Amino acid sequence: MWKKVLKIFAILYFPILLLTFVLIFYQKEEQLSGLVQVEERGAAYKKNYLLDLYTSLVFSTQYWSEIDYPVAFDPMRDHSGFIDSYIEIINGFQDYDQFRFLDLKGKEFFRYQREDDKNMVFGPLQNKENRSYVQSGLALKRGEIFLSAIDLNRENGVLETPYKPVVRGVAPIFNTLNEKIGIVVINYRMSRILNQLKAQITNGNFYLTDANFNIITSNTRPYDLGYEIQKSGKALLENYSLTHLPLKKAIDTNFVDQGSVYTFKVFDFKKDFISKEGIFSTIPIIITPTDWVIVQEISPEFLGTWFLPLYKDFLIFNFFAVIVLLILSYYIIKSRQQQEQFYVALEAKNKALLGSKAQLEKNNYQIQDINKSLSIKNDQLKEFNYLVSHNLRSPVTSLSVIIDMLKEEKEPDKIKALLPKMATVSNSIYELTEDIRAYMAILDQNEIKVEFLNVSKLIALVKNEFSDLMLGEQNLKVLVDFKEWEAVSFSKLYLKSILQNFISNAIKYRDTEKSESYVLFEGKIENGSKVLYVRDNGVGINLERHGANVFKLYKRFHRNISGKGVGLFLVKSQLEALNAQISVDSKEGLGTSFKINF
Amino acid sequence: MKKGNILLVDDDEIYLYLVKKILSKISERIAISSFTDGEQAINFITNQTEVHQEVPEVILLDVNMPFLDGWGFLVEFKKLKPKLEKSIRIYLVTSSALPSDKQKAKEFQELTGYFVKPITEDNLKNILTEVYETNF
Repeated sequence: MWKKVLKIFAILYFPILLLTFVLIFYQKEEQLSGLVQVEERGAAYKKNYLLDLYTSLVFSTQYWSEIDYPVAFDPMRDHSGFIDSYIEIINGFQDYDQFRFLDLKGKEFFRYQREDDKNMVFGPLQNKENRSYVQSGLALKRGEIFLSAIDLNRENGVLETPYKPVVRGVAPIFNTLNEKIGIVVINYRMSRILNQLKAQITNGNFYLTDANFNIITSNTRPYDLGYEIQKSGKALLENYSLTHLPLKKAIDTNFVDQGSVYTFKVFDFKKDFISKEGIFSTIPIIITPTDWVIVQEISPEFLGTWFLPLYKDFLIFNFFAVIVLLILSYYIIKSRQQQEQFYVALEAKNKALLGSKAQLEKNNYQIQDINKSLSIKNDQLKEFNYLVSHNLRSPVTSLSVIIDMLKEEKEPDKIKALLPKMATVSNSIYELTEDIRAYMAILDQNEIKVEFLNVSKLIALVKNEFSDLMLGEQNLKVLVDFKEWEAVSFSKLYLKSILQNFISNAIKYRDTEKSESYVLFEGKIENGSKVLYVRDNGVGINLERHGANVFKLYKRFHRNISGKGVGLFLVKSQLEALNAQISVDSKEGLGTSFKINF
Repeated sequence: MKKGNILLVDDDEIYLYLVKKILSKISERIAISSFTDGEQAINFITNQTEVHQEVPEVILLDVNMPFLDGWGFLVEFKKLKPKLEKSIRIYLVTSSALPSDKQKAKEFQELTGYFVKPITEDNLKNILTEVYETNF
């Protein structure tokens, strides 16, 4: 039962499950593409923000390059008054960490630096001729600006702690004679900018990397520029590179890796800067060693939380679908079983009906049989009634007449003459009662012993009792033909008596004018039942006259032949006692044919 | 008075004896003949008719007889009737009072009367009076 229920359930549930999978897939795709759009917008926003910041760096750096400095510029002594007015401006820039002038040899001749993240003070001068940004700066022509890659600030060749991510803006400076007198180097503190970039405006994680996918900053990492710290020999737990991602070159793209959705947006300062044209009086040529990449990552954890309601809906829907379908399947199977049981019950009833039909038919046959035997009994009773009312009443009335006459008669001679008549009547009454007794014996027989009798053997036996026949003195042949059947169930006593009567009649009523007389006993099957024909070529009976009386008591049809008219009456009675029937066909001069239906 | 001619047909010899005795007692002028079965009786009447001899005016016919019973006689008589020169009155005298026999008797127009045995002297007197229109 449960196996069937589960089968139906599986058939019903599988398409629904498939459908929900398809639906959840498309819904996920849709939501994901929405998320990616948000991330792309976030990345674009951050790129713009970065561009604005960088533009301000460029602008700020360019400002110092466009000032006409005094000839033999010495800001620390001769031209301290000149520089004082600018110190106020420098102090106004929150992001300035160091402000330096370097001569054409790369030596600092002015250094104004922030101390302990607070106020800016003059610092001790250093020789920076070996630093790459100095060399790049010294190569700059008028109108050119160099922005260094972002890195951690080093003082005297050692990483300054706390780590200080900086970008250096470098521009050439010129005196009033339009002679290049050195470079201005401004260290911009990037912490504030990076922190602002890291501030989440979307759902994703944020990375800012260089073109080699080294992580400059990220909200997922404790240090900015961690790779530089690692390069300096300090061990950090985190990986500060996105090189594990399957992306060879920095391009604008979206992709999925290990459950995370990444959005990459390349920040090409030189290219993007052109779009900012117009805010500068003269457009600076910007030289920068590296491109940046803005990376937004939607983490699997976030996606998991984001899609949780979807999964929850999916689970709840499927949970109820499973319950409903299980119940449905159960009822389908149950109703199917009930139907099957109904059919089984129906079949059983049908069988029972067929059985009772057969029984009814059987009863019907029995009733028909009983009916037949009742009808025979009825005929026999009528016969008996007739017998009593005619044959018995006749001598009795005669007797009463004689008695009346005796009463009236006075002459002794006449009385004497009447007495022998009384004896005759009495005799005939005696004979009649004897015949009735024989008949009653047959009628009254309730349990007649029935056996399976071989008829031709019985005929042979009966034939022997007729000694005349045996000796060949009577010209009668007894013939038998039992090809179709040999034996029949009947009373041996009755059948013997019946056969005796037939043979006796065949002898008595043989036609002496014929050269050869015979009686033929023939067994036939008609309509499925056994039939015995007894045919002879005797004198025959006029059935037109006597047809109704052939089997009646005391009926005789041949004046010259002795007989009481009892034989065929008894034959009929004996046959009917065992539900067999007899009929006759005859033609005078040709012979007689009896037909017995067993 | 005209001489009567009565035929008795019955297989009961005692009956025949008794009826003859009664009839002779009633009148000596009645010729009585008898047969013990229907076949002899019908053969007799047929023969008499063929040779234009006298046939009886009255037949007292029994029902239950060998060779040809009363009914059989009536059937044969019906065939013979057109050839008869004078009418014959047939009285059925039966030992049975069965309703079926009485019913069957009504079907034969050849029958004049129906008696149940024993037939009495009065019965016979009535028959003779009816036939010969004379009081016996």
